[in-house]
Amino acid sequence: MRAVIMLVLGAVLSALLFPPQWYPPKLRFTLAEYFGTPAAVTVPVSAEMPMPPLTEPMCPEDLLGWRDAQIIEGVSISATLGCVADNPYAIAAFVKGTNNVSTDTLMRAGLTPDALEKGADLDGDGDADEIHIRLEIAELNGGSPDSQVPTAQYAIAPGITPGMWVFVPKSFGMATENFDSVIAKELLRAPSPAIRVEQGDRVFITLENTHYLPHTIHFHGVDHPFLRADGQGNDGVPMTSELPLEPGQSRTYELTPRSTGTAFYHCHVQPQSHILMGLQGMFIVEENRPNNSLQSMNIGAGQVRVVSQASREEYDQEYDLQYTDVDSHLNNIIQQTNDPARIQSWLHGGYNLSTSHSDYFTVNGRSFPYSYRESLIVTQPNERIRLRVLNAGGEGLALHTHGHKTTATHLDGVAQTPEAQVTRDVFWLASAQRMDLLLNTSNDGTHSYGPGVWMLHDHTGRGTTNDGIAPGGNMSAIVYREFLDEDGWPITRGEDMSMFFAPEFYNRDLRFGDDEPTLQWSFLLLLRLIALALALGLVLASIAQLTTPLLRGRR
Amino acid sequence: MRVPCLLRTCSIVALLCAANLSHAQHEQHEQHGSSHQGMQFDSKGMVMNSNVDELPQNCSAISEDVAFTVRAGTAYAVTSAGRVFGFSQYEFKVKPCARVTVTFVNEDQVRHQWMLHGLPRYLYAQGMFHLEANGGETVVGSFIVPADDATYLVHCDITQHMEKGMKAQFVVGAGSAQLWSVPSLTDDFNIEKRMPHGTYFFVGLLALISSALIFHTLTGKNN
Repeated sequence: MRAVIMLVLGAVLSALLFPPQWYPPKLRFTLAEYFGTPAAVTVPVSAEMPMPPLTEPMCPEDLLGWRDAQIIEGVSISATLGCVADNPYAIAAFVKGTNNVSTDTLMRAGLTPDALEKGADLDGDGDADEIHIRLEIAELNGGSPDSQVPTAQYAIAPGITPGMWVFVPKSFGMATENFDSVIAKELLRAPSPAIRVEQGDRVFITLENTHYLPHTIHFHGVDHPFLRADGQGNDGVPMTSELPLEPGQSRTYELTPRSTGTAFYHCHVQPQSHILMGLQGMFIVEENRPNNSLQSMNIGAGQVRVVSQASREEYDQEYDLQYTDVDSHLNNIIQQTNDPARIQSWLHGGYNLSTSHSDYFTVNGRSFPYSYRESLIVTQPNERIRLRVLNAGGEGLALHTHGHKTTATHLDGVAQTPEAQVTRDVFWLASAQRMDLLLNTSNDGTHSYGPGVWMLHDHTGRGTTNDGIAPGGNMSAIVYREFLDEDGWPITRGEDMSMFFAPEFYNRDLRFGDDEPTLQWSFLLLLRLIALALALGLVLASIAQLTTPLLRGRR
Repeated sequence: MRVPCLLRTCSIVALLCAANLSHAQHEQHEQHGSSHQGMQFDSKGMVMNSNVDELPQNCSAISEDVAFTVRAGTAYAVTSAGRVFGFSQYEFKVKPCARVTVTFVNEDQVRHQWMLHGLPRYLYAQGMFHLEANGGETVVGSFIVPADDATYLVHCDITQHMEKGMKAQFVVGAGSAQLWSVPSLTDDFNIEKRMPHGTYFFVGLLALISSALIFHTLTGKNN
């Protein structure tokens, strides 16, 4: 009986002595309704938050003049007004064919003489119709038996280097910028290059599997025969059309696309992991026109600097926008071990796609703030701009244009009749869907609300974060020229964006002042806590007293 | 003075450099530094900085002529070390001031390289001698090594080819160091710590037994 009294007493004392700071918020609100709010207390003065030092310029200087409009090998290449531009020598080689340009241009482009061969003009309309593309596979941010840092580094955002596999054009020499660097050269980057061919071209695509695991290429939405004329599989699907292509082997796919449109190519081996590892790119079939020498590859997608004749007829500019998402738990498997057998085990059974979700979201291989260097859509009023959009990721994309309503002219490569064309400011793209959007910058209150820096991003919550921290993800912007500075960075009226270039901003180390849980220590509180501990001890002791006979009885 | 390049050290130095120099600046350095002498660039592949007659500053004469035939491909991978690509030979030994001719035979259907780093830059642009062969092709090149005892890194710099097996060491004279993770020669730097099967079960069982013993001791004294 005494033990019961002690138990009740201990419980009541514990409840009374429990510090009110630790009450659940709901209870504190309820109590305040009956007893009024507590008196004001002095809190420490907030300290000004020191910003992490800037480790890189927001917009690197264009020392080699790659942004300028220029003519190389007779190819007229339009300017890039944004911050970082593609190598114009590579663009010239992709237009003329690597077999038709000088050694000097190839050396500057970094491409091999057989990377993209252009042959005969089959229909006699002034452009080559035999196209032979050779693709290799590069591993970015891969592991090493020697190094603690990833090899052939490619950062999607400051300090963020998830492991990736990408299709790349056949290049020569080192994989990094130079021997003293661990940064991958420009040709080795995500996403895999956007490939452009003309309707009716005889296209040969040779995959030279330079990677240590088997791969294939599947042409999603591109007109291609299931088997080649010689009986070899041509669909890239290991289950149905062919065996996976082993490391060190090569295989040529053949197609002569009859229909046009924006399509998709990706590896089809173990699709639960290989596609999301980055083996995915855009494949565009352009309308047949005379003198239509296409830029057959667009490295890192983005602005098309040599546009097709058909695009010239209707549009002022053209952009390839490839959206995807990355789950670093999948992508970083390749950094955990150097043994391909173990990597394969983890890809097969160690990683479960059905219970995972993505943490990084990219447009053209970069997340904000790097996406602002490469993927701005720079315009003037009254332009018609073609946006070819692919959602290559595993999650849906709610593509939202601030300040503009765009019109979907093509869905999955198929032209929509004028009655079926929808104009709106959020378009939903499920996985693997493509959409061609017409961005009309006429200031009419619907298509455009006028000049400015207008965001362009995925409106699903996570899409604009880097591992849950905003602003990040696949944000880019539609920027009118008067709002763009000389270097290609938008002139904004908001926050200083340099803070987003500090890796600390996204790695969860950044502290906003002294934000540790604030329990104000005082002598009274100390006494109260000691008393609480004694009361809890009383409860425990009386429970022990009450239960001991039971325990003894069982013996 | 040449410092033999242990890959780990290089990566750290490279990281520091990368932080200071921007993307484009690196690129510009490279293009100023490169010369097209001793150069082959065609459908077979590429030979860079081939040199048969220019002596390094500290050599007065060529000491010996050495020829190696190196075969490359997945067939030569040291699979016991978890590798996928490989060379037919992982260690090369020559005398100081030797003239070396390498015949590089690529037995795969994809590109491979035999790239040697650390040569004097006044003679070899970017300090390297480089052979690159397309699938099924053979390329040949020569270079003359300086007089210092040194160990040079040889590798294929296609992404992951060195990591997955295409790494060798080229020893001049007594050499200066052993490189890490050369297949069949040296160990990996990051030796993977694998726990044997049943480790968790074993530790769990031990914990159960010990807690039973503790419980027994404590309760035994009370009675």
